[in-house]
Amino acid sequence: MSSAPAVIPEEAVVRRRWTKGFFSQPLAVVGAAIAIGWLLVAIFAPLLAPYDPLAQDFPLTQAPSREHLFGTDELGRDVLSRVIYGARLSLPLAILLVALATALGSVLGALAGYFRSWVDPVVMRTTDLVFAFPAIILAMVVTASLGPNVRNAVLAIVIVAWPTYARVVRGLVLSLGDAEFVQASRLLGSSSRRTLLHDVLPNLAGPVVVLATLDLANAILLLAGLSFLGLGAQPPDPEWGSMVAVGTQYFQYWWMGTFPGLAIFTAVIAFNFLGDSLRDRLDPRGVSRGKHQGVA
Amino acid sequence: MHRAARVPRLALPAALVAVVLAVVAVVASTAFAAGDNTKAEGTLVVDTSFVVQTIDPQRMFEPTSQIAVKGMYDTLLTFRGQSTTPLPWLARSWKVSKDAKTFTFTLRRDAKFSDGTPLTSADVLFSYNRVINLKGSPSFLLAGVKVSAPTKYTVVLRSSTPNPALLRIVPNPSLGIVNSKVVKANGGTDALGGDKTDKAEPYLLSHSAGSGPYVLKSYNNKTEIVLEANPGFWGPKPTFQTVVIRNLPAPTQLLNVQRGSNEIALDLSAQQASTLRGKSNLKVITNASANLFNIDINTDPKISEVAANPHIQTAIRYALDYPSFVKLSGPGAVQAPGMIPTTFLGHLPPTARIKRNLPKARAEVKASGIPSPKITMYYPSELTINGISFATLAQKTKSNLAEVGIQVDLVGKPVNSFLETYAAGKHPMSQSYWGPDYPDPNDYLVFTPGGLAANRVNWGVAKDPKLAALAKQAQRTVSDTVRASRFRQIGRSMNQRAPFFPLFQPAQAIVSSSNLTNAVLGVIWPLDVRAVGTR
Amino acid sequence: MPWPFFRFLGRRLAALVVLALGITFVAFVLTQLVPGDPALTALGPVTSADPEAVAAYHAHWGMDKPLPVQYLTYLWNLLHGDLGTSQLSHQPVLNDLQHAIPATMELAFLSIAFAIVVGVPLGVVAAIRQNRASDHALRVVSLAGISMPTFWLALLALYVFFFKLDWFPGGGRLDPGTTPPGQITGLYTVDAVLHGQWSLAWDALHHLILPALVLAAFNVSLITRYTRSAILEVINDDYVRAARAKGLPERVVVIRHVLRAALPSVVTVLGLVFANVLTGAVLVENIFAWPGIGQYAYQASIELDLPAIMGVSLFVAVVYVTVNFVVDVLYGVIDPRLRLT
Repeated sequence: MSSAPAVIPEEAVVRRRWTKGFFSQPLAVVGAAIAIGWLLVAIFAPLLAPYDPLAQDFPLTQAPSREHLFGTDELGRDVLSRVIYGARLSLPLAILLVALATALGSVLGALAGYFRSWVDPVVMRTTDLVFAFPAIILAMVVTASLGPNVRNAVLAIVIVAWPTYARVVRGLVLSLGDAEFVQASRLLGSSSRRTLLHDVLPNLAGPVVVLATLDLANAILLLAGLSFLGLGAQPPDPEWGSMVAVGTQYFQYWWMGTFPGLAIFTAVIAFNFLGDSLRDRLDPRGVSRGKHQGVA
Repeated sequence: MHRAARVPRLALPAALVAVVLAVVAVVASTAFAAGDNTKAEGTLVVDTSFVVQTIDPQRMFEPTSQIAVKGMYDTLLTFRGQSTTPLPWLARSWKVSKDAKTFTFTLRRDAKFSDGTPLTSADVLFSYNRVINLKGSPSFLLAGVKVSAPTKYTVVLRSSTPNPALLRIVPNPSLGIVNSKVVKANGGTDALGGDKTDKAEPYLLSHSAGSGPYVLKSYNNKTEIVLEANPGFWGPKPTFQTVVIRNLPAPTQLLNVQRGSNEIALDLSAQQASTLRGKSNLKVITNASANLFNIDINTDPKISEVAANPHIQTAIRYALDYPSFVKLSGPGAVQAPGMIPTTFLGHLPPTARIKRNLPKARAEVKASGIPSPKITMYYPSELTINGISFATLAQKTKSNLAEVGIQVDLVGKPVNSFLETYAAGKHPMSQSYWGPDYPDPNDYLVFTPGGLAANRVNWGVAKDPKLAALAKQAQRTVSDTVRASRFRQIGRSMNQRAPFFPLFQPAQAIVSSSNLTNAVLGVIWPLDVRAVGTR
Repeated sequence: MPWPFFRFLGRRLAALVVLALGITFVAFVLTQLVPGDPALTALGPVTSADPEAVAAYHAHWGMDKPLPVQYLTYLWNLLHGDLGTSQLSHQPVLNDLQHAIPATMELAFLSIAFAIVVGVPLGVVAAIRQNRASDHALRVVSLAGISMPTFWLALLALYVFFFKLDWFPGGGRLDPGTTPPGQITGLYTVDAVLHGQWSLAWDALHHLILPALVLAAFNVSLITRYTRSAILEVINDDYVRAARAKGLPERVVVIRHVLRAALPSVVTVLGLVFANVLTGAVLVENIFAWPGIGQYAYQASIELDLPAIMGVSLFVAVVYVTVNFVVDVLYGVIDPRLRLT
């Protein structure tokens, strides 16, 4: 996309339309604030965390106190530091995998919508196949087969997530393909590639951004869910989902599971607030429905 | 949108109120009903996190199956509580030849199966041969053993090599005696090739065919196994009419056992259990378990130059913070003095334990000449034993070795794929454990050069022929005093140069309602339900 | 029935067969990628060192044949209604599924019922109070609902309602040792009622409520939001205005016209809700020790129990196609203007 400079002004036009008045919505502001807050926590984790998240230096399973605001875990690590470092794992991974899913899904969807011939049925039947599994069952089988680690969990979620984009983008391309300005550009003899890049893609940006923001929320949930099942991040990495899982083993030490769970909740709700407000801008009645399937 | 204002104000709020009321009603009524949540009298509930593949006695070898099978089937000999001394049960008496190759058992004559058929040597013969020929998990128990039944109440076991451990193998629930007539009638066979021709498993998953105090009422490998008292039991009647073995994850067990009566929780770690001490309605018993957690390191430089380096191995031995591992496991755990658990013959005294020595470990790392040593350690990722997760141990190991400058990369794998590469000797280092198959030091010869566990770290006979010879000699020794001293001698040299680092024996906790008696962990089986009584 | 209906049905069935084939193939390939050998865990550390025992195990489970043969054998057996035998339970997969599926269905039905009963009215309220305080509040609450990690919610619910308050039991489908009702539907509550065993029905319901509520949390939010937008779509349509112009009371307008017009969109979301419930079931069943399809799928994937994984996958695919089919048919029933395609 970035290789075509002519796209930029058009994209900017589109962007202005849906960002106008966006930040006058309290929900968007709250969402953005929390999201930026977590991003800052992720970036400055070493400065913010009171202790090394891996250091097993403290008495085991201490309740929250002044020294350890969130208590300590079963290996005597500081839970607050682990929650802070957890942002470094969950957020970048969620962003990475949504970017991958968006890129893969959008490209395949656009191709399917534009070159209807054989590409379309192949892509669409594949999305059917993926949709036929609940996300977590498919992701579970994929990670269990390839081996449980963060890389495979990300891969599994990308496999689960891309079809949504493919479907939405294909639908938009199909409807745009019939739009007058695209027909006109075709009649004027533009190449397929040019039509796709200049006329079709810019108009996809809005819906895809909304979808991607909401998917960030789902990605964090799914990643945490897989880690909760022991199929995502591996110890000693301070991943929120796996911290909750350990917390379930030590029920009576409620702080071990409650705080990482709260971290997941706040991060997810931030992106849901943002995505929902964005959708409102684009489509105030909330008519467009991508299959953004909630996960964990 | 202004028109929305004209909606009558009552209709929807009323609907909402109705919904809320309905929810409240449901919740309130359930709260009410929870009060009279009593169990039928005479039911013992055992909460455990299920590890069960089958309850066909001659196929099973899993802890949960052992609880059920131990209740339904009798063995020739048995153990009481934590003792490892074999006691008479179906066999009234027995004789062992001087060379420890021939074992003659005399059966009691009053034992009968739940259908009334008397139990005879033919049933023992059938059951033992079925174990051997099914080639299932427990078949190794009778490796090299030939069974015969010269009279109706005599059974003879002949081992091809001296087998002083056999008397401690016989109490294993997998060697429980089945009603041969019933099992045969339902497709069972004890003949050679039984692994292909025996079809009795489905029957034994829905019925029991034993002589024990309990019979099978229902079996579900995901939820619960229900046993019911056998009205015609030949021995002393069990206290409980019904025993329910129920599948529950440990955290739920922790909550449940505090609520119920006649309830036992089996899978709490000593740490979890210790939070329950002082509650008057509960009894917490912790014993040092015979399970032994250890670390293995590969001796083959082709797998890892670093791991196979003797200096690095010594460095690791002295870098591990043993007391902190013990602490992790909770009160009651002990540092393992050697690879043989402290409850078994031939174990080392506490003075033989390795002590952490960081300067020595650092010096050894330096002596290895490897600038920044790095080792990959594998562990079974979702495995938890005695409430201790291998993931937790692996993290402790990593942090301990980092202190002497050895970097450990952790790789967790599901048990299946872990075992595959582990058995093939491909792990540079593993977080591992050994649970006793039978309470005898011979079970631990697997750790001597050329043994099963030693092969997984490529520690063949050629790597330490002297120790291998010693092991062979110990295996065939009949006298217990001589065996004990030989095993101690082996243990001492292993603590210096074997590629195994024994860490600790966890405390096994058993939490039960305080009215229960004899709710204790066995050496082989997790719990003997027939012994549990009430005060 | 008009024949286009049968053509529609036929097309869906054909799609199902193709999907099923695709799914068995994908599941088969995925599980073959795995390095693990089930014989090793099944036989234990000592016996699995004996190659003869391992070979016997492989032969018993048909794992000694070449892969294409294994796959074709599976398909052939499938045609005869045989899903194979689970390596974990030693029982036919079909048998396992017969127990696991109703357990999850019972949970799913109650949870979806909760979600509809609470979600639809809330959605209506949000729509007709659009942009007012109650709409904003509902929006925040429903966004919070879809942001809550189900496994965390389950844990908190168990802690509060079981451990602290003792209102609900701590897992399982029935009190320990209780004999389940004779299987008719497999739904314990229904079966117990059919057999007239009222206290048993109560016991089953009592165990069902907490996990069902936890599972419903996410879907209440979803349904609220869909209902809201569906109603906003139609609330200013001409026929609604006409109804109002006729002087009908607003309550009648909303219930008879607006809600009815919005219903097809609400029905669409049920497919989605169902998928969410299955997904949530994996996590919730794990925590509530609920012997359903979610736990079965989890165990099967962890232990690489191929026949079980294939069985679950097939079941899920059938459900997916069926639910979509039902949704489409409901569409036609609710709104005859929509044609079946």
